[in-house]
Amino acid sequence: MSELKPRKDLLDIESLDLSEIEYVLSNAVPFKQLFQRSVKKVPTLRGKTVLNLFYEPSTRTSSSFEVAAHRLSADVTNFTVSSSSVVKGESLLDTIETLQAMRSDYIVIRHKAAGVPGIVAQHTKASVVNAGDGFHAHPTQALLDAMTVREVFPEHQGRRVVIVGDILHSRVARSTSTLFHKLGIEVAYFGPGTLVPAERHDFLRRLMSWEEVFDWKPDVIYLLRVQLERQEGAFFPSIAEYHKMYGLNSLRLDRLRQMGSWLMHPGPVNRGVEITDEAMRYERSLISTQVENGIAVRMAVLHWLKPENGVDS
Amino acid sequence: MSVEKSRLFRGGRIASAVATEFVPEDVLVDGSGMIIARGKGFEVPTEAEVIDCTGCILVPGMFDVHVHAREPGQEHKETLATCSRAALAGGVTGCVLMPDTSPPVDTGNLVKSVMDLVSEQSLIPMYQAGCLTKGREGKEMAGYSGMAARRVPMLTDADHTVPCPYLMRRCMEYAKDFGVLVTSHCDTPPLSKGGAIHEGLTSYRLGLPGIPAMSQEIGIDRDIRIAQHTAGQLHISQISTAHGLKSVQIAKEEGAAITCEVSPHHLVLTDASIHDYNTHFKFDPPLRPAADVEALVQGFIDGSIDVLACDHAPHTEFEKSSEFISAPFGAAGLETAVLLIFDQFIRRGVFGWNLLIERYSNAPRKLIGQQPTAIREGEKAEFFVFDEEGQTRISSDCMHTKGPVSPFLGETLSGQIRGTTLGSRWYPVG
Repeated sequence: MSELKPRKDLLDIESLDLSEIEYVLSNAVPFKQLFQRSVKKVPTLRGKTVLNLFYEPSTRTSSSFEVAAHRLSADVTNFTVSSSSVVKGESLLDTIETLQAMRSDYIVIRHKAAGVPGIVAQHTKASVVNAGDGFHAHPTQALLDAMTVREVFPEHQGRRVVIVGDILHSRVARSTSTLFHKLGIEVAYFGPGTLVPAERHDFLRRLMSWEEVFDWKPDVIYLLRVQLERQEGAFFPSIAEYHKMYGLNSLRLDRLRQMGSWLMHPGPVNRGVEITDEAMRYERSLISTQVENGIAVRMAVLHWLKPENGVDS
Repeated sequence: MSVEKSRLFRGGRIASAVATEFVPEDVLVDGSGMIIARGKGFEVPTEAEVIDCTGCILVPGMFDVHVHAREPGQEHKETLATCSRAALAGGVTGCVLMPDTSPPVDTGNLVKSVMDLVSEQSLIPMYQAGCLTKGREGKEMAGYSGMAARRVPMLTDADHTVPCPYLMRRCMEYAKDFGVLVTSHCDTPPLSKGGAIHEGLTSYRLGLPGIPAMSQEIGIDRDIRIAQHTAGQLHISQISTAHGLKSVQIAKEEGAAITCEVSPHHLVLTDASIHDYNTHFKFDPPLRPAADVEALVQGFIDGSIDVLACDHAPHTEFEKSSEFISAPFGAAGLETAVLLIFDQFIRRGVFGWNLLIERYSNAPRKLIGQQPTAIREGEKAEFFVFDEEGQTRISSDCMHTKGPVSPFLGETLSGQIRGTTLGSRWYPVG
């Protein structure tokens, strides 16, 4: 761990090397242990400021970052830009200037356009954490997913995860599959041909049916949220048909139970679409663990990044 | 800079479309801008200005059939004057102006008003193209008779396709009566809509909506069929894929009057070149994978691609500094086209200057019914001086366009354009 280069921003998973991944994941463990104590706070970022900048509505991720920052004793400003007033592309540079003037130490940013956190990062001295940009990346989600898988499988190498659903429009699928691959976890995609990109990394196999999923013996089934508006883009004929073909129902759940597979989902869940109510009660569901690990991983990320703002005297 | 003085270009070697070898000869241009002597040891007037071309080559002026000069209406991006300076700095001595201005040039009167501006403002000859459809909206045919009377070099909706095949058919049939070339930006809008870059591994990695290759290919196939059916003359702008090129090759073998152009950026960059969401790499059609680029280079060499055209599309840095998905397509190209082709191909021996002169000087002029230019006695002087041993750093400070956005900013290319002469004027670069 000693050879770690200082890093200003966390923008994607692609650019992380294994030592950085290990550093964050191993630091997240003691942070999580902290949650069992009556006082869940450490003074690591006392006097530092975190700006939570969400250009897309997200209760979960923004609260998770907020809690993480609070537990590190940072001051947090939440800034949610409603979609109606989202500034057009032309004023991105103005926005960045404003942000720079606020002199935050950390900027957590979610934006509907891929690449925006990276552009912000280039223009500010603050550390930028990508909290999801378009279909591009959601690196802290991937890290919390990895932490979750490693908790149930300390020997995670060679484990198998199948990601089910709308891969095409999913930054979670992209980041999580890339991170799992880096950690030696095998990843397969399962979903309709309209939503699984034909051109993707070679290490990503595609499974064509639940039978193929069961035959592949996945250790984890990772369901993605299906946006209801996708049926308008003719990606599938109806929500009912999607549920019939790709949804996790009781019958399929029984097969998973027999294999001892675990269930993950980045949330929020669309009940009755990608998953039925019964499946939500599955005893091997890791969905709440993912939420808890999200806070620990985000603490580890904020702790790790080094802003270029000011110098401590 | 004296207009009346004669000028001697001494010590250089002369390039042409017909020979791979350069001819080491001097060129004397008189005060009226005519080449009056070419050779060695001829008598030179004592007052002649001497341009030392030692170590350099003299290359016929290039001609670009795909230029967005943005005037009228978008003068914050470019003007006819700045565009012409950019052209001269890039060795380009004539061009066709796309009609996607504000308002779009879709009547004879508008053509005349832009051509009047050209004669006042531009340092080089520019020929205003007219719209295929009114307002470039793809709904109604524009008035071709008035535009033909103003001698438009081509009819095109610039970077819009005519979405309805019925209307495209009628446009081609009707344009044929006036003998005007139809240029098509082949595309299938329902397939390309919302896309930002080529649909492939890079669009997957970057999470950007893709523009599939087939959106241009289906457009090419459609327009070739319409051209064949109507026996019209069709020019396909900005070809970008191997399959599209194959369709053109087949149509040519079948005897159709089809030509096509490629841009320098489609010959040297791939979709994998896109990095850091740099919007200067955002083009329409988009940058394609290496296999397509290889096919395009081959087509450029074997002649299935007729013309090089840079799709000069300046934008302000501010406009390009936005989210990748919402940034405008295109970049400035006039000042880098020759340098790029030299740096990437000529210097590496892939092909010679003669091929570049054929594709970027002769063929584009012929395409719109102009005489090719050459460096010989009795011709108007129209050439540039190129130093093959020099280097050019591409930077927005050194560019003459008002919209100096380019994927090559910050790069140093081999070769240097020392200056361009057009008639009696000499425009040194730098």
